[in-house]
Amino acid sequence: MNHEQIFSINTGSTEPIYRQLMEQLRRRVASGQLSAGDEIPSVRELAQSLAVHPMTISKAYSLLESEGLLERRRGLAMRIAPQHRKAQSAASRIELLRPSLEQAAETARQLELSAAQALQLFEQILQELPDPQEGDAA
Amino acid sequence: MNASTHPSSTLRPADLSLHSSAIQQPSASACLSGVQLGYGKQTVLRDLSWQLLPGQVVGLLGRNGAGKTTLLETLLGLREPQAGRVELFGQAALQIDDAARARIGYVPQQSDLFEGFTPAQLLAYFRSFYPRWNEAKVEGLLSRWDIARDKPIAKLSGGQQQRLSIIRALAHEPDLLVLDEPVASLDPAGRRDFLRELVDQVLDRGTTVVFSTHILSDLERVAFNLAFMSEGQISCQAPLDELIEQLRSVQGSAAQLQSLVSRLGAEVLRRHALEGGQARWLIRLPADAPPDAQDDRLQALNLEDLFMELT
Repeated sequence: MNHEQIFSINTGSTEPIYRQLMEQLRRRVASGQLSAGDEIPSVRELAQSLAVHPMTISKAYSLLESEGLLERRRGLAMRIAPQHRKAQSAASRIELLRPSLEQAAETARQLELSAAQALQLFEQILQELPDPQEGDAA
Repeated sequence: MNASTHPSSTLRPADLSLHSSAIQQPSASACLSGVQLGYGKQTVLRDLSWQLLPGQVVGLLGRNGAGKTTLLETLLGLREPQAGRVELFGQAALQIDDAARARIGYVPQQSDLFEGFTPAQLLAYFRSFYPRWNEAKVEGLLSRWDIARDKPIAKLSGGQQQRLSIIRALAHEPDLLVLDEPVASLDPAGRRDFLRELVDQVLDRGTTVVFSTHILSDLERVAFNLAFMSEGQISCQAPLDELIEQLRSVQGSAAQLQSLVSRLGAEVLRRHALEGGQARWLIRLPADAPPDAQDDRLQALNLEDLFMELT
């Protein structure tokens, strides 16, 4: 789906452009056209494609992030947040991860890998996962 | 409108929220204070003060004859005011040095291109004045905008001359870009192209941009801030989003309006008397007003309405 299909700007409206963008993204998610894990265009890409001031785009994105609809990832494109998992507390989900990581840490030490090297690999593996919705095999 | 409800007393004179929340006192790209300028008996700029902060994209709005061109020319040091101070990058605008001048790009309302030259000759000529010159950008825009490099400028269409004027203003990668009705001769596709170029400037260089136009849909896209010119002054400058969200028009008897305003904690910016004891007020809601806790009588305004109210 290209940007023009996701977003359209209605000038001359009493609704500010950043609110129009927020509403359009919410609707795409509600209707299932965009779903958890889908990446959205960067501020730069969207500003250029719509010919809109970048501050307007980043304002819309930041507000959607604080609503929990979008997820910001360092150095990567923002994506639609996996909202259905918000119900479980993060702390309890982290505890479920602990056993496999303890095992991995043991292996890393035996192989004389540094913490940075091991973490880098873990980060890489996380990023390479194809679809976050299928990523919960324990 | 009467002087006591003039928006200059109630609206914030300049928006400081853009880009630079970390910087407390960003030094202005352009700064005018107490500027007075007239022709004969006619006063055009009346004790006008205005600031353009780095990275701001400001749309300048005003009725025909409000003095927008005079203001932009004064800002650039092309006109000498009778009183007041004009500074560009911290230097007196009438005496800026070459280094500061090279940081400014200007697209005048009236084309000032040398019509006997070809675009290639014109650009080669200007190139010699500037320490910095983005040849790749120039070549890219000439091709994309389909401008014949070796045809006399006089034979180019109005739209092509305007595009060439824009290319010339962007070629040396200015930090301050002043555009006076830059798109009057461009068709919608040409205008969209131009707006994308402006967005690129902002993304890549954080260029400060001020431009005047009557094409409000263009302003709405790229001008994060708007400055309204009225009665020789900048009567209001604020982010467009904020104006759309906070300004409302409301009609009723003075007593009704007064009670509504106090209930909402709103400010009255302008009062228009109507027939039969009725009045229409322009009010500003407090920034933290819940969007729903409003009143049916409140009428939202779009940019065109704002133009009618504030210029």
